[in-house]
Amino acid sequence: MQAIKLENISKSFGKDSSFIQVLSDINMSTEKGELSLILGPSGAGKSTFLTIAGGLQTPSEGQVYIDDQQIDHMSSKQRDQLRLNNIGFILQSYNLVPYLTVKEQFTLVDKVRKSGNLDKNELADLFQQLGIEKLVNKYPSELSGGQNQRVAIARALYTDSAIVLADEPTAALDSERVLEVGKLFRDLAHSREKSIVIVTHDVRLIEFADNVYHIMDGKITKDEQND
Amino acid sequence: MFLALKEMKHEKFRYSLIISMVVLIGYLIYVLTSLSIGLARQNTTAIESWNTQTVALNKDSNINLDQSVLMKGDINSLDKKNDAVIGETPVVAKTTGQSKQSARYIGLSDDQYIYKTLDVTSGKKSLAKGDVIVDEAFKTNGYKLGDTLKLNSSNQKFKIVGFTKDAKIDIAPIIYGDISHWNTLKNYNSNIVGSAVISKSNSINISDKHLKNYKVGTVINKLPGYSAQNTTFELMIGFLMVISVIVIAVFLYILTMQKLKNYAVMRAQGIPANVLVKATIAQSFIIVAAGLLISAVLATATALVLPAAVPIFFDVPVLAAVSAALIALSLLAALIPVRSILKVDPVTVIGG
Repeated sequence: MQAIKLENISKSFGKDSSFIQVLSDINMSTEKGELSLILGPSGAGKSTFLTIAGGLQTPSEGQVYIDDQQIDHMSSKQRDQLRLNNIGFILQSYNLVPYLTVKEQFTLVDKVRKSGNLDKNELADLFQQLGIEKLVNKYPSELSGGQNQRVAIARALYTDSAIVLADEPTAALDSERVLEVGKLFRDLAHSREKSIVIVTHDVRLIEFADNVYHIMDGKITKDEQND
Repeated sequence: MFLALKEMKHEKFRYSLIISMVVLIGYLIYVLTSLSIGLARQNTTAIESWNTQTVALNKDSNINLDQSVLMKGDINSLDKKNDAVIGETPVVAKTTGQSKQSARYIGLSDDQYIYKTLDVTSGKKSLAKGDVIVDEAFKTNGYKLGDTLKLNSSNQKFKIVGFTKDAKIDIAPIIYGDISHWNTLKNYNSNIVGSAVISKSNSINISDKHLKNYKVGTVINKLPGYSAQNTTFELMIGFLMVISVIVIAVFLYILTMQKLKNYAVMRAQGIPANVLVKATIAQSFIIVAAGLLISAVLATATALVLPAAVPIFFDVPVLAAVSAALIALSLLAALIPVRSILKVDPVTVIGG
């Protein structure tokens, strides 16, 4: 089953002289158990692509399917529910709630999603893999950029969602951590049948990806060399 | 509630300032409301302490106790358990070594219910031989048990044998004495038997064409200056509450708008909008309720240190209603930015 399927997606903003075509006739799908990388420079439309795939905004044209459900016609509330239950989001910045400690970021998820989250041991393992096990009582303002990013990754993975969408997840990490996070994503995709899509311009992640796409001027192309 | 409390715990200084503002507003409302209620009560505490339901007055008195007279034969047989004839007159009391005290003399009969149910806080209860029981305001002004009073220019000597509380009418403290001395003070002959009949029941058995039964509310509203004073205070407190709610609403609105970026992050993570709306409303409730609670404690402390002459009175049901109205209106105000929360666009934090 295709985890994410985008058919003929176009997205534009504004009218007349302020008209901008951000995405143009995008067709793409990902399977469960795959790590897909979308590479492209700043302004290429990566984040727009990700937000449409995750139901945060709707396309101007085309259809988006998550687990074979068409989501572009869903209400905002239905899409909230879909994100909470089916999609883990890792954002480029402002990832964490500033007035919650690391531990409380996960308590908040428990409060709105009573079941299906990782159990205590699985979470402890995840914390250890990401090297954040000693940060549980710290606020985001007390963490470095890299630590914040790793906590955000853990939070996105905490709901054990079948789909993980990540926007520049390694932007604030050093090379060693990039490799660890890349490996973690790949292992999760393969061992837990997750579909993970990363939009990034970090080419260090290519070695972990099952599929590599390039996005440029609103158009997406698959890198066949990586297959 | 979880998000609301966690944010307040983390942002202690900011929320302390906001709660302090509510404390000041609440304090102002509580103190002003209690002062106005206290002042209003000074017009009526005696009438209320008699459990008055009905008052029979002379028809020509314009519902004014001072102007009403009852003639012998005006009254049919009274039910002494529920009805009492009083004679009322303003007096100036003097005693050696103390300043003069404006007061109201209320003449009573010791076989009627007002005297029988009168409680003394110190001294004894007696109307015999010029004995009088006076309001505690006399004690506050230096008068003591056993002091001899001279009322107006009368030669009759009166002796304070007891103090009682809540004995004020038209803001003046009451001197309870025998009704026969009322005739003396007013220079009335024995054909005049009193000013009014006070009753705990809904009607008084009067048949004379000179008298009329009035509901107690009608009599109270006709007390000189009473309605004007109360209306002024009610308007003042009403305006104060409206302005306070607007100020609180503006603060809560700004507070919520400052958090939209955090809400956008949470919406992106799939946290339902209703969770964020509930957190906002819960936080507004905590801020206003905590502020009002602290201001109630401060207002009570203030009342303890105010001079006894300041007529502050905490009418708990009224203050509870004022608090409930403030909380309810503040929560309504907190709903104003809800639309912004519901419409917050997660994309704004992603920059897609």
